[in-house]
Amino acid sequence: MTIFPENVSTYGQDIDNLFWLILVFASIAFVISLFVLLYPLIKYSSKKVKRAEYITGEKRKHFKWITIALLLLLGSDFVILYVEHDTWGTIESVPAKADVHVGIIARQWNWIFVYPGPDGVLGTSDDVYVDEMNSSLHVPVNENIVFELRSQDVIHSFFLANARLKQDALPGRTVMRWFNITKPGKYDISCTQICGILHSKMRNYVLAETLEQYKQFTDSLYNANKPAVSINK
Amino acid sequence: MENIHHKQSFWSKYIFSTDHKTIGTQYMIMGMIMAGVGGYLAYVFRYNLAFPGKSIPFYGMLGPQAYNAFVTIHGMIMVFWVGMPVLLSAFGNYLIPLMIGSDDMAFPTVNMLSFWIFAVSALVLLASFFVPGGAFGGGWTMYPPFSAQGYVNLNPNFFQALFSGTSLLILAVALELVAMLMGGINFLVTTINKRAKGMTAWRIPIIIWFINIAAVIFMFSVGPLVAGAFMLLFDNILGTGFYDPHRGGDPMLWEHLFWFFGHPEVYVLLLPSLGVLAEILPVFSRKPLFAYKTIIYLALASAFLSVLVWAHHQFVAGIDPRMATFFSIGTILISIPFAGIFLAFMATLWGGSIRMKVPMLWAIGFIGLFLVGGLTGLFLGSNTFDIYAHDTYFVVAHFHYTLFPDIFFGFFAAFYYWFPKFSGKELNASLGKLHFWLTFIFFNGVFFLLFFNGLAGQHRRINDYSSFSLISKEPYQTFEQIATVCAIGLMLTQFIFLYNFISSLRKTKKAVKNPWEATTLEWVADSPPPHGNFNPYPEVYRGAYDYSLPDVEDDFTPQNIPKV
Repeated sequence: MTIFPENVSTYGQDIDNLFWLILVFASIAFVISLFVLLYPLIKYSSKKVKRAEYITGEKRKHFKWITIALLLLLGSDFVILYVEHDTWGTIESVPAKADVHVGIIARQWNWIFVYPGPDGVLGTSDDVYVDEMNSSLHVPVNENIVFELRSQDVIHSFFLANARLKQDALPGRTVMRWFNITKPGKYDISCTQICGILHSKMRNYVLAETLEQYKQFTDSLYNANKPAVSINK
Repeated sequence: MENIHHKQSFWSKYIFSTDHKTIGTQYMIMGMIMAGVGGYLAYVFRYNLAFPGKSIPFYGMLGPQAYNAFVTIHGMIMVFWVGMPVLLSAFGNYLIPLMIGSDDMAFPTVNMLSFWIFAVSALVLLASFFVPGGAFGGGWTMYPPFSAQGYVNLNPNFFQALFSGTSLLILAVALELVAMLMGGINFLVTTINKRAKGMTAWRIPIIIWFINIAAVIFMFSVGPLVAGAFMLLFDNILGTGFYDPHRGGDPMLWEHLFWFFGHPEVYVLLLPSLGVLAEILPVFSRKPLFAYKTIIYLALASAFLSVLVWAHHQFVAGIDPRMATFFSIGTILISIPFAGIFLAFMATLWGGSIRMKVPMLWAIGFIGLFLVGGLTGLFLGSNTFDIYAHDTYFVVAHFHYTLFPDIFFGFFAAFYYWFPKFSGKELNASLGKLHFWLTFIFFNGVFFLLFFNGLAGQHRRINDYSSFSLISKEPYQTFEQIATVCAIGLMLTQFIFLYNFISSLRKTKKAVKNPWEATTLEWVADSPPPHGNFNPYPEVYRGAYDYSLPDVEDDFTPQNIPKV
């Protein structure tokens, strides 16, 4: 059993590695703390030790242990902050080379996908809106998929666990994010911000396919939708 | 100061009492009742998660709307109607006058009013289940626009919108905050003005310091939420557009107003319980609290930092990524002062003469469990990892590993410790130990496995995971069932406590005045303390933690014993 679902994105491994790094620090801190907490209960039990020592903790020779522990914690904090910040920049900003532009619009209770049309540009009249329950967003593998995330009504949140990507969709704003899927397959999209009675039913997919398959899909989609007409059901 | 003896009717003695001990007790009992309600709600939705589609014993079939409402109100109740009244109002009211050697609070009538406003707030909250549409089902965080649709949906009918689940919930929270504000003022004024002669600042017990710091944090941070709540209410009942992007509003505004309070609020909840630990550990180690002054400085540092980290709840909300970096740094750094406080607590044990009585079991259990909660906070404080973990069960497990030890272990530690003073009786220790171990084991059984569910990608507030391939497979469904069975065990275990509580009250054997041989002033008063508390009022000559003084035969020297 693996802890994480399969990672199929270019930056996903960085997220998993960050988890393991933090886990190392947290585990060391946990084991040491448990020892410091539990060992004295045995060693200084009132059955063995009749009179406690009068230690106020104001003396340096006693307090230095806490100072050392806090400095170690501060050090690991800085390591975590240093390691994570590159990945944060990578995920939270759109790459210079954007291969495919799509739109993702959240609504109660489905994910709408907007394909850019033959001109490849979002926001033009040949865009095609696909609004079907449990539909898949087709994308080619190994390409930077840049998407514009919006919401039609309330706050939703786009979660693509296999890419380790999550982004809230707020009405009134457009957020640009991206992913690059390295392996063909069908990956769950879920909504991770409670949005009403059918929040549990908002489940679509990202379908990552080869470039030929992707072109076949978009060709037939665009052919069926000339001039651009939304096929909301 | 004199004891004021006046004739009290049933109503003025038990119902509209202005005696801080009665008010503290009223808050405690109300908190315990609400914990039962919140626990029942959790039982119902946990049963649904373990056995989807099945009829739930003592409830029936749970639909998605009711599921959403139950998780929402469970969270609201536990924070505002259990945590706050029990840790802040009950402990603060009961202990402050006793531990500073005073007769009562500075404003006894305001105190009484605060409880009754609190009681009304609970009724308003419970009423929200029974209005058309039922209770609000959008998470305890109440994010608009989903929570601002009363005006739009009810098209617009002022009274329908006002008596909707959403509006009643907002009103209930607002009333609760008013009650807590009144209490906070009382705590601060009392602690500043009514201390016993000789009780200088550095002789005040830590719990009194911490409750007051919590009151300051609360009062500083709650204003924005009250403003935001009124704006949300007006959006619902008056058709304003504070959170409506179509009219120049922004849902993000609510997020900031809510979390600007919501984050410091968890430290408001934590500090009183840390104070309980700070009182219990020295008594049962027969050793002074380690680094008393440093602990206070660390708590003040934490209080300061606590208002600078709120947007770690909004890392993926669409805030500027550079701002998120600032909040991630603050969140990771705030671990330092709290770690310092916990290390000082643990250092108190080393070199002691440790008596493992029931209050000590709860205190040690608290620290062990809180370690898990606090360390898992490190994962979530990293903005990068939070991209993955936000709104998954990893978060749910994290905050239960902090809040449950804080609210429940903290409460039980305090209850078992101060019960002899509060009632003049003793609780049964064997039942206390059984209560502790079962609670400890069942609690871990509920929440530890849920970390794994979260890491597997299980998102929150979903009543039915069958459409999600990552989660609806093994072992995650088994983990859900283990969690539910343990949750039921956890709740049933609390009946051991209730039995112990009630049967001990009915015992005839009286507790000795200071059964734990503690140094703080409340143990000077009779058990239970009469109206006015002390006769005569004690004078303070030393700090609160003079245990095992080298040139004194007794291993404890109470605060009111003069220096020779």
